[in-house]
Order: sequence, then C-alpha cells, then structure tokens
Amino acid sequence: MRASFVFSEVVTGLRRNVTMTVAMILTTAISLGLLGGGLLVVRTIDRMQQDYYQRVETVVYLSADISANDPGCTSSTCSALRGQLESAPGVQTVIFESRQAAFARFQRIFQGQPELLQLARPEALPASLRVQLSDPARFPSIAKAFTGRPGVDRVTDQGEYLRQLFRALDGLRNATFVIALIQALAALLLISNTIQISAFTRRAEVGVMRLTGASRWYTQLPFLLEAVVAGVVGGVLAIVGLVIGKVAFVDRVLAGVFEAAIVPRIGYADIFSVAPVLLLVGSVVAALTGYLTLRLYVRT
Amino acid sequence: MIRLEHVSKSYRTSTRPALDDVTVAVGKGEFAFLIGPSGSGKSTLLRLLLREEVASAGDVYVADLNVGRLSQRRIPQLRQRVGCVFQDFRLLANKTVSENVAFALEVIGKPRHTIRKVVPEVLELVGLEGKADRMPHELSGGEQQRVAIARAFVNRPLVLLADEPTGNLDRDISHEIMLLLERINRTGTTVLMATHDHTIVDSMRRRVVELHLGQVVRDESRGVYGVSR
Repeated sequence: MRASFVFSEVVTGLRRNVTMTVAMILTTAISLGLLGGGLLVVRTIDRMQQDYYQRVETVVYLSADISANDPGCTSSTCSALRGQLESAPGVQTVIFESRQAAFARFQRIFQGQPELLQLARPEALPASLRVQLSDPARFPSIAKAFTGRPGVDRVTDQGEYLRQLFRALDGLRNATFVIALIQALAALLLISNTIQISAFTRRAEVGVMRLTGASRWYTQLPFLLEAVVAGVVGGVLAIVGLVIGKVAFVDRVLAGVFEAAIVPRIGYADIFSVAPVLLLVGSVVAALTGYLTLRLYVRT
Repeated sequence: MIRLEHVSKSYRTSTRPALDDVTVAVGKGEFAFLIGPSGSGKSTLLRLLLREEVASAGDVYVADLNVGRLSQRRIPQLRQRVGCVFQDFRLLANKTVSENVAFALEVIGKPRHTIRKVVPEVLELVGLEGKADRMPHELSGGEQQRVAIARAFVNRPLVLLADEPTGNLDRDISHEIMLLLERINRTGTTVLMATHDHTIVDSMRRRVVELHLGQVVRDESRGVYGVSR
C-alpha cells in the first residue's frame, strides 16, 4: 500500500468537487456542533443537579403558636419534632430557623426591594425546621410522617421547583439532540452523495484500477478517506464553533448567571472533554456512510 | 493458458444466450484472433476471462485460476495476470504518458524504484521513448493505443486481451499496432485479440477462432477471415 498515492488521490477527489466538499463539511460541522452543544448542556445539567439537590432542603413549617412563642425550639413539641426528624432515615441535618432568623433572611434576600421590606412584618413568617436529606427522593416519606402532626403547619420540598426547572432544561437538551439528529441525517446524505459524485468523476481511474487488478482497498480507500476527512474537518470546525460560541455568546449573555453561580460555568475543559467524542463520532459515522455507499452504489 | 469448457452465458435481457456451449483453449505463448460479427459473443468471452461477468454454465480457466470460482478478494490476482486493451484506449486524460503507465503499477502497490525502472523500459518497447511527458490528447490515435498497450503490458501479464484494438485506427497504423502485439507475443505472452478487421487477420495468418451467434463455428490454426463475409 503506497500511502502517498492514496493520499494524493484523496486530495484530488476533494478538490474536484469543491462545492460539494464544502457543503458536506459544513453540514457535518453543524451537526457535530449541535451534538457537542447537547452534550455540554447534559454536563451542565448534571452538575447543576448535584449542586442544587445538595442545597435544597425539605422545610417543616411550624405552627403559629411555636413561631410566636418558641424562639429557641425549646418547647417539648418543637424539640420532640426536631429529635424525630434527626433520627428519621435519610436525614443529614436538621436546623431550626426561628421567626426572627427567617425575617432576617427575608430582609437579606429582598434588600433590593425596599417597598416589599416596608410591608413585611416578622409575624407573617413562620419558624421552621430545615431538613437536609442525604437523598432527595426520601421527601415523600418525611412529608407523610410529619404532615398534620401537632406543631406542624405544613411540609414543603424545594426540590419540586427544581424538578420543574430541570424538566425544562431536559427539554432544551432533547430539542438540541433532535436538531442534531436531523442535521446528521442531512450530513449523511451529503457525504453519500459526494462519494457517489466523486466515484463518478473518477470512473475512468477506477475503471483502470479494476482492470489492472488493484485490490478493493486501493480503489475504495481514497473515497472512504474523503468521507473521513469530511468527518474530521467537520469535527474540528464544530469544536472551534463551540469555543467561539462559548467566548462570544455563552460567557457574555450568561455572565450574570455564572457570577451568581446559578448555572455552573462551562469551561474549556468541558469543551475539550466533548471534543474527542465529536471527532470520533464524525470520523466513524462518515467512514460507515462511505463504506455503505460504496457497497450499494459503486461497482467494484 | 486460457481454457473454456462448455461455457454458456445468458443475459437476463436477452432470450438468446450470448455464448452457447463454447469450448476452446489457447495455449501458452499462442496468438489467436477471435472473430465474428457484432453480437457473436466476442466481447462476452473477453469479459468472462476478466471476470467482469460470470459464466451461466461451464468453467473458465486462466493459467491455474478457475475464474468463475474466484472469491471477490482474489479477483485482483486474476487481473494482474491479464493485460487488456480496448478500441477506445481508456487513457487517463489528466496524466502524462509515463504517469498513465505508472498508474497501473502504483495501484497494485509496486515500489517506486521498480516503477521508475520499468516504465521507461516498456515505453521503449512500444516505441514511445521521448514522448513520456506528453499528454494523451497531444498524441495520435496510434500512439495512444501504444500507451494503452504499454500500460497493459508493464506488469508482464501472462495473457494480453485486446478488444478491437485497431477499430479506431487506419490501415497503416493498425499494421504497426499488430507488429507491436506480435513483439509482445514473442516475449511469451499469450495474446487473444477480438476483431473484425479482415485485412489484419488475413495478413497475419495466425490461429482464428470464429464465433457466430455464441457458438464456435470455426477454429483454424493458420486461418483467414473467411470468404463468406
């Protein structure tokens, strides 16, 4: 096998249908870029989930009586509740938040809205026991055990709001993947088409190769490599696109969100951990498409 | 060297078989004409020898290879032993004369130093030394056919098949091509040439195998084209 010969055939082939080659590479790049974007969204969501579920709490709001008269959770009702919560399975920590502490926190959160602060009175806020669960899925059993108990007003789970948020993010991710898939289909058809055109424009060479007894690898490898080149170049462009997208769009538009640590920052490390996947998917899928096209459409 | 035993070939599109129970053998180093009108089965026979087609019945042998039974992977082995030239030359228009010849060696993976040595030798054999760097369109028809013959012969095949190689050439040039094929035959290469050029067949006085409607109707060791046509 003479590598230089095969290589020069590949270059000739790609140069001969420049427009098709460009179209094939761009479509592949867009498809892989969307795939990469989807993978980054998945990584971000995963990290957000870990981060958020660690921070969310199950809150047992206490009755008005306890809220008003028991600022240190020393009454028998309150301390019994706390004790039972602490010994319940799946509970990590239990912290008592008095009415005053709740009001202080409220003031901190809404310090930007003085009108709201003026209206607020500490009496409006209940005291609570804030429960950190080692496993958020434990919430229903806690809720069931403590709802309606003396001294308990209601039991809420902050995780429920998060689940709604993550459902929205999952939808975003799925939409990205669907678009990537449609693009991928277009890319596959273009690759297949380009190989057919390439084989047609080189039918004289291929004819001579067959007659002189070139092996199938020799006649078909240049076409396969053309497809793989498209896959790899498309992958590289996709990675460049992701980097540009990060610098020019995500970092700017989501700057505030990153600053507030609401969404974990997408770093270069994330992009470069997705990069090999894109290159691999690009080249393998392109090679398979090329191989099938040659088997189906090009006579050997 | 070439042997067909009770070979028939039918195409799905035709009711009459292209070849009908053909048995013929061409020995090593022999020169034979394959004659007959259009549609008599000459080209089909050559295509069977190259495994471009597979016989519907019977066996085709080239050297020690049972052509019809070859696996896809071993077809190149057959074609490396069988050189082939055509009426339309089939040169690559964007390659020079020597590149055209070298191409046949490159695609079967011959090392570069071999190619550099062998290509000028074979160009000299066909009388094209000095035209190595010309493009095919700069050559006359006869010269183009010489390039095609050089390409077919450069890998020293056991058999050279020629399908109407003089079909596009005038009489004098055709004669020169025949002299070249004779020279190649003298190196020990078996030559089988399909033609319906009376003058050439009559002047060469070589073996003649005549096909008619897919059957061998004549096989003479020093034949002429025949008076009936």
